[in-house]
Amino acid sequence: MIHPTCDVTLLKKHRDLKHGYHSLTFGPYPRASECRPGSFIHLRVPGGAVYFRRAMSVAAVNAKAKELEIIFKVLGRGTSILAGSRRGDKFDILGPLGTVFTFPRKNETAILVAGGVGFPPLMFLSNRLTKSGHDPKRIEFFYGGRTAGEIVERARIKKPGLRFNPVTDDGTFGQKGLVTGPVERFIAAHRERNLRIYACGPDPMLKAVNELALRLGVPGQLSLEAPMPCGIGVCLGCVVPLTSGDYARVCCEGPVFNVGEVSL
Amino acid sequence: MTPDLRVRIAGVEFANPVMTASGCCGYGEELGAVFPLAKLGALVTKSITLHPRSGHRPPRTAETASGMLNAIGLANVGIDAFVRDKIPFLEKQKTRVIVNVAGSTLQEYVEVSSVLADFERVDMIELNISCPNVDKGGIEFGADPVMTERTVSEVKKVFPRPLIAKLGPMVTSIVAIAQAAEQGGADALAIMNSAYGTAIDVETWRPRLTNNRGGLTGPAIKPIALAMVDAVYQKCKLPIIGIGGVTTAEDAVEFFLVGATAVQVGTALFVQPDAPIRIVDGLKQYMQRKKLATIADMVGKVRKW
Repeated sequence: MIHPTCDVTLLKKHRDLKHGYHSLTFGPYPRASECRPGSFIHLRVPGGAVYFRRAMSVAAVNAKAKELEIIFKVLGRGTSILAGSRRGDKFDILGPLGTVFTFPRKNETAILVAGGVGFPPLMFLSNRLTKSGHDPKRIEFFYGGRTAGEIVERARIKKPGLRFNPVTDDGTFGQKGLVTGPVERFIAAHRERNLRIYACGPDPMLKAVNELALRLGVPGQLSLEAPMPCGIGVCLGCVVPLTSGDYARVCCEGPVFNVGEVSL
Repeated sequence: MTPDLRVRIAGVEFANPVMTASGCCGYGEELGAVFPLAKLGALVTKSITLHPRSGHRPPRTAETASGMLNAIGLANVGIDAFVRDKIPFLEKQKTRVIVNVAGSTLQEYVEVSSVLADFERVDMIELNISCPNVDKGGIEFGADPVMTERTVSEVKKVFPRPLIAKLGPMVTSIVAIAQAAEQGGADALAIMNSAYGTAIDVETWRPRLTNNRGGLTGPAIKPIALAMVDAVYQKCKLPIIGIGGVTTAEDAVEFFLVGATAVQVGTALFVQPDAPIRIVDGLKQYMQRKKLATIADMVGKVRKW
């Protein structure tokens, strides 16, 4: 059951992460604890200047305090309005919505591939995995960005034991180049392990990850983004083509799809 | 005094005058997870065609000032799957069910409607003769009075319960089309479908919809729809269901005042999935405040200058 509260969830905390990135923590929100890594919320932008809600991946949850956090980058009018919001502002949240990541088995190494603003659901996944007892040595977190400053929230991702692999286009932090290069090299060097890949980021990155995962036989999941009017499956506006030839709704059959499922 | 929200259209009683608009609520399953569908006056399904349609390539929607453009392309499961997979769900819903019918030929409208004739659960059908987003069918039937009358009268021969003709704004005279639908035997009119529109990405110089243009909906088109309902109400006896940007109870009241007996809520569902419930609640409050006993006390009662 989807319970539109519409009413009012308070903004508890707004952090400016610089380089256009912002973190908003809402609460108390009665359904916060239902959010899983991969879940998204459909957020009404206050003020009415933009018409649609904005779909935002959940970055973290504090179940006890009934709080949930989103992290986004200012890219247009909706996100610039959100970036101007203040503690105490009231928000209309719908969700959590959509499909979620399937956790890896204990003996599997999770390869998390984050591209730019696609990192929040993977940070959520990584933190949930370590919390639930998954060996952090079996988590490889690849995080690609244009430049050093765009690799945000490093301290929250780097957990003891977890391998953090930053990659920047300009080489100002971590390895230089596209994130998919080091990912492919890691897979090639660890074929003897049981691997499972998870990715969220810009379409060209997802396409590359999907191709290399298929080519190297690594199972996994991709989290997609699409312009999304309703978020609950009724408008059919957010569809993506599947390899089967059908269309699937990113809001209901996604946003998390299996590798090989979507025609990217 | 508790206001009476019930309305009658073509002999069918509705618990309230708030319906969902076709194409904005699928076949009811998703919305049924948001609120009990019994709270609606009626559920109007997505357009059903003879064969399944997958719809246009994305992007299919674009946000605009106070509304949206869409070119979904009549994506639907087709009449066979509708009857097999969707009617059983609708059978369980305690609301009126109106099935929207589309076709690319007159024969298709007739075939789909004749299948629906056998299902008593389908209280009414709504003929989509005004979809702006498909190459064939839709608007060509509703832009010409002769075709409108013929389509309505042919479908009337096979469908025994009331028929609503859904008209669009992209016509020379909506009054002429409305009169043609009345002549053809329509029992009610739904006014209006979306208006043509487009939007261009100035970086890529590409239209924001792969269909190159689409239908404009949402609050942006409400003034046009109100004027169309008003024009038709003056010249046509059929009950009118007002559609176009209805988001609040006040929007619904505006439509009643210019002559609508009921309203459909479309694009607002995408922003606020329980918008119909809020509108029903808001109508009760409005009618109490204005000391109005029934919806009919408002219909066509605009005080023109």
